[in-house]
Amino acid sequence: METDHIRNFCIIAHIDHGKTTLSDRLLARTGTITEREMQDQLLDSMDLERERGITIKAHPVTMVYRARNGETYELNLIDTPGHVDFTYEVSRSLAACEGALLIVDAAQGVEAQTVANLHLAAKQNLEIIPVINKIDLPHANVEQTKAQLEDILAIPAENAILASAKEGIGIDEILEAIVQRIPPPKPTGAPSLQALVFDSYFDTFKGVVNHVRMFNGALERGLEVMLLHSGKSLEVKEVGSFNPKPYEREQLGVGETGYFTANIKSPLDVKMGDTLTDARHPSPQLHGFQEIHPMVFSGIYPINTADYEHLKTNLAKLQLNDSAFVYQAETSVALGFGFRCGFLGLLHLEIVQERLRREYGMDIIATYPSVVYRVQMTDGTVKEIDNPAFLPEPNFINQIEEPMVRAYIICPNEYIGDMLNLLTEKRGTVLNTETLDTRRVMMTSRVPLNEIVIDFHDRIKSLTRGYGSMDYEPDGLQVSDMVKLDILVNSEPVDAFSCIVHREKAEGRGRALAARLRDVIPRQQFAVPIQAAIGGKIIARETVRAFRKDVTAKCYGGDITRKRKLLEKQKEGKKRMKSIGAVNIPQEAFIEVLKA
Amino acid sequence: MEPAVSSLYVHVPFCVRKCRYCAFVSEAADGAKMDRYAAAVARELGALDGGRRLETIYVGGGTPVLLESRHWDRLVEALDRKGMIPAAEWTVEGNPGAMDLAKARRLRALGINRVSLGVQSLDDDVLAGLGRIHRAADARRAFDDLRRAGFENVNIDLMFGVPGQTLEGWRRTLEEVLTWGSEHLACYEVIYEEDTPLFRDRAAGRIREDEDLACDMYDLLLDRAGAAGLSQYEVANWARGGGAGEFPGRACRHNINYWRGGSYYGAGPAACSHVGGVRRRNHRSLERYCAALERGEQAMEEVDALEPLARAGEIAAFGLRLTSGWPYDLFRQATGYDLRTEWRTELEQIERLGYGKREADRFRLNPAGLRMADWVAEQMLRS
Ligand SMILES: Nc1nc2c(ncn2[C@@H]2O[C@H](COP(=O)(O)OP(=O)(O)OP(=O)(O)O)[C@@H](O)[C@H]2O)c(=O)[nH]1
Ligand code: SF4
Ligand SMILES: [Mg+2]
Repeated sequence: METDHIRNFCIIAHIDHGKTTLSDRLLARTGTITEREMQDQLLDSMDLERERGITIKAHPVTMVYRARNGETYELNLIDTPGHVDFTYEVSRSLAACEGALLIVDAAQGVEAQTVANLHLAAKQNLEIIPVINKIDLPHANVEQTKAQLEDILAIPAENAILASAKEGIGIDEILEAIVQRIPPPKPTGAPSLQALVFDSYFDTFKGVVNHVRMFNGALERGLEVMLLHSGKSLEVKEVGSFNPKPYEREQLGVGETGYFTANIKSPLDVKMGDTLTDARHPSPQLHGFQEIHPMVFSGIYPINTADYEHLKTNLAKLQLNDSAFVYQAETSVALGFGFRCGFLGLLHLEIVQERLRREYGMDIIATYPSVVYRVQMTDGTVKEIDNPAFLPEPNFINQIEEPMVRAYIICPNEYIGDMLNLLTEKRGTVLNTETLDTRRVMMTSRVPLNEIVIDFHDRIKSLTRGYGSMDYEPDGLQVSDMVKLDILVNSEPVDAFSCIVHREKAEGRGRALAARLRDVIPRQQFAVPIQAAIGGKIIARETVRAFRKDVTAKCYGGDITRKRKLLEKQKEGKKRMKSIGAVNIPQEAFIEVLKA
Repeated sequence: MEPAVSSLYVHVPFCVRKCRYCAFVSEAADGAKMDRYAAAVARELGALDGGRRLETIYVGGGTPVLLESRHWDRLVEALDRKGMIPAAEWTVEGNPGAMDLAKARRLRALGINRVSLGVQSLDDDVLAGLGRIHRAADARRAFDDLRRAGFENVNIDLMFGVPGQTLEGWRRTLEEVLTWGSEHLACYEVIYEEDTPLFRDRAAGRIREDEDLACDMYDLLLDRAGAAGLSQYEVANWARGGGAGEFPGRACRHNINYWRGGSYYGAGPAACSHVGGVRRRNHRSLERYCAALERGEQAMEEVDALEPLARAGEIAAFGLRLTSGWPYDLFRQATGYDLRTEWRTELEQIERLGYGKREADRFRLNPAGLRMADWVAEQMLRS
């Protein structure tokens, strides 16, 4: 297709504002999918996406649209996730587009990720089409949302399209606006092929399937290509687009979006954001996007040590489709052999664990998540510590620096006090409070990452009855008085429960953790003491009482089999627990501690 | 060669109405159904290897005393034809709400020499809460009737840990029952079986288990039963009589055979058997059970064949419920395995926890270990 008949755009918004639902509508209206194929959030194809009702991975789709002017256009859409953990997916998608639909829920108004994602799009000079969605809702407030567009985002309200993705209102206007307002792609003028690799997934038969956005030249089967970063030459095996399933095409031309395969066995061989060019006549590197670094680390261990190799294989499989997830082998005194895994945030961590448990049927436990600390030793050396077990003894430490984030919280005026209290509790400082409109403010603050990893977002939501929202970005390091909190189960330290905390919070956290563990560790044949300690000093103690006796049940009519099977079931249940210090600890305990 | 089978369990699946804790398949008593049932059981017995007097017969339920004379006659006739009776120990379960002097006399006359009376409690509120059909007064009278009919070997079944039962109430029940001087006492804790009203009560939070109270009740039981001259020979069973053997003279030999991994036949719906190292269970449904036998087929629904080591593990597990534990030579005879070498790790662990001891001729649990018999069993099982 000629470039002036191609439009590349993504859909961005705060979580749950209706991106995926709107994508479905666009697919249906353009006939990309039939009415019969239409189902709610069709693009959220992963089980976990459907269950949680959120998008985890960005989805590119190519649509063919016949506009009112009678011309036919190729529209390349990328639906993106809204959750802050997956902001990276948004950045990557933006790099492949000339425009973006910015969706705002008419009942919720502008929220933190609306602001954050708009900033990302503006940085890339994308044309923004504001869409006020969910106007069908009884408590939709279009006027106020328009005012917010102008006041908060500096977007002229008359540009906004009123829509209901659910009811199919405004869909044609959106399609027309895409054609009219978003500029067509322009060749870069480079001497040969330039394509941006912005995502990938793994296919058992084809190997790595790379999502590409064509900036210059053409891509087709048999072409000898090269990835500039790795310098590796490859032969293209297949090119195509998504509808939303992948389908093969003769060629991808300038401005188009699609995929290519080249018998690439490992996704690690392809750096996201790399430029694909002609191997014989290479063109210069495109402006890619920043590499992502995991922010949160946790150890993942098999319950049965024999499952180690199996776990390794499955982690590798997961990574094939999730380049933001990293892992490397590690050992733990209490847990044996496992892997240190890096995640973008707690939701990302939960999703990886859940997929391992469900899709791969693994019994695993995960250690208490940690951020990365920069430890300056007395001998002048510097260590990066992402595992509390490896924090050196205090007398060797000069100082500890912890990672900070800049958090942007949007909340209604009446909750300002609660937010200030929450920020103080989380050791944050407010840098700036900005009035957004008559009802809401945006607070900019600096908070230690370690304080927001676990429950910050949930706390904001519950304190503001769902009206508050938050976004954050990394913001350097800060020297802090951090200590290691150890948990001892039956007098044995369990490094899975250890964490690095601020000295002033250590005691409270220790008590909460011990109490939580007392409730989730099942009773055993003996009393199990649970202690929290800092540097060998016990600061909290709880006890899981011992069983006093088994139930003396009748064995009816010599049905030994039934009784044996009951016992076998119990025994099987215990095998799925981790035995630490002669104590059986169920998988849930490792999840429950997060809620302490 | 496999020793001849010398025990038989007969299941009678009829009850007046369902107790609130009972998950057993049982049906309302109905004359025609009972006729069909008795004919089917007679057929099933007829197909067994006979020609040899049984040591023990146990007729359980359900509520066996709901059977009419004609049904009993069929049963006796079938057993007689096989040369299986008179048996040294022939027990029938008696429900105090369905037992009277005339019935007791008839049972006695058939050669039945032991009755297990389901008293459960002498507290009417507790009995009502369990949904039992009888009251305390019925239990007292039923026991007298049994004695008058000439039963010299009677077991009393009691339940503790019942929702609403107090320690004081349990003490009164225990103390009174112990004055009756029964030869045998069996005390079980209430269990919450799925698909029972009691289970639903607990799930809905209407009742709560109180482990400490149940423990105190068990302690009281150990204390009072001992003081009354009964000897504990299994986690939940006490009996009178010194005797030279391993067990008190009035211990239930039928049950000991279960715990020691012995063989037994089973007849009737849902009845289990253990013959030639294989455990089988009949159809639970009365209809299917009868239909199968009427077609001249076996009524078997489930076969539980295990590898020898797994079967031995099961036998090891359940035998340790007996206070006399497992004599090593007997265990080897029963299973072909050496308890000390094959289960060494487990025995050591049990000893470390202070639950039992390897003695010169046997391994046995001490009182602390007997309270954890299920946990011990779990350790002994092999899959
Ligand atoms: N009433 C109404 N509900 C809508 C509309 N659009 C979406 N929804 C609902 O809003 C919820 C979220 O929709 P999604 O399309 O999953 O939102 P999303 O922005 O893709 O969410 P994430 O990908 O998790 O960020 C779903 O329950 C939709 O049914 C609309 O126009 N009107
Ligand atoms: S009498 Fe026995 S078998 Fe019948 S319902 Fe009651 S407990 Fe169950
Ligand atoms: Mg979505």
